[in-house]
Amino acid sequence: MLPYADAAYNLARWLTRNDHDADDVMQEAMLRAYKFYPGLRGEARPWLLAIVRNACWTWLGKNRPAELTLVDEPEADTPGPDVLLARELDRRMLNEAIASLPVPFREALVLRELEDLSYKQIAQIAEVPIGTVMSRLARARRMLAEKLSPTTAAPRLRVHK
Amino acid sequence: MRPDDKTLSAYLDGELDASASLELEREMAQNPALRASYDRMRQLSAAVREKAEYYPSPTHHKIAPAERSRWVWLAPAFAFVLIVGFGLGVFLSQPGEEETTSNEIVASHVRATLANRLIDVASSDQHTVKPWLSSRLPFSPTVVDLSGDGFRLKGARLDYIGSQPVAALVYQRRQHMIDVFVWPSARDAQKTAYARDGFNIQHFARDGMRYWVVSDLNKNELDDFTKLIRGQSPN
Repeated sequence: MLPYADAAYNLARWLTRNDHDADDVMQEAMLRAYKFYPGLRGEARPWLLAIVRNACWTWLGKNRPAELTLVDEPEADTPGPDVLLARELDRRMLNEAIASLPVPFREALVLRELEDLSYKQIAQIAEVPIGTVMSRLARARRMLAEKLSPTTAAPRLRVHK
Repeated sequence: MRPDDKTLSAYLDGELDASASLELEREMAQNPALRASYDRMRQLSAAVREKAEYYPSPTHHKIAPAERSRWVWLAPAFAFVLIVGFGLGVFLSQPGEEETTSNEIVASHVRATLANRLIDVASSDQHTVKPWLSSRLPFSPTVVDLSGDGFRLKGARLDYIGSQPVAALVYQRRQHMIDVFVWPSARDAQKTAYARDGFNIQHFARDGMRYWVVSDLNKNELDDFTKLIRGQSPN
């Protein structure tokens, strides 16, 4: 399981958005992981990520319940705004934009783009139907594109943090 | 109809089934705006993968805190079990107090018989034997004459059992010698009987005295003898 400590911490760090809280969550999650490890069937990495994800949600629910309030997930039919090309995107701006996404979208994006998990695996970790994963990812990308579009990026990012 | 973000996004992630993918590809070939939309999404996805922070875990989560703390727990527990086990082994392999005493009793009886040194004060008179003993010991054992029951008092000697001086009363039944070792004891004990190396040993404690009876006499007769000793001990 130790090879997945990085994946576990990365998820905790993205969901809590700071090292200290990620450390707290990890402590709890790893204890649980070791406790339940003997009962593990199947792949270890999604299993561990599910434990970390649950520990994060429990922690957030206790310490920052506002972050877990449900956001409506409207369908987006209009074309997304232009975004800067990847190579032009400022690393810090991109990271701040991801960090500013609501938790359900942030976790879907991190699990998909940084852990390269399938929709099915993400659905199991986040305990939602696959269709929800699909729409959350689409919405996460749309929100990210909006935050990073050349016309809106600067003022929006100044507001955050 | 223009495919929505969800379809584009799923296609980007390779999660769209084959027929839907084919249909989307056909549409994109005919619709440059849709194609551009998809390209922007792909660019963004690539940017996230390339530039988003990946926070590696601090080492203390990697060296398995749970496992380590389990060992931290286990180490003293293991040491404790080892020490207790060793101590228990030593304890069990050592003869108990009673076993040690009965060994000494038999040894003393055999030694005295072999050396024909059974008796320091030869007398069948309990009133001679008792003062002789009490003048040499820090206690005064009860001495009874059982000749009426077939156990003749031959006398007594001093002996040394369990690191203390004890009185050894000597009785005779036919050709069998009986030693009765007596010394003070804080607690009473029920009668127990052993056989060791062909000798019968009986042990009890009452009225502040501990009695060990040893003889090559058969067990039944020795039982009778012990009963008489017990019965006639003063209350």
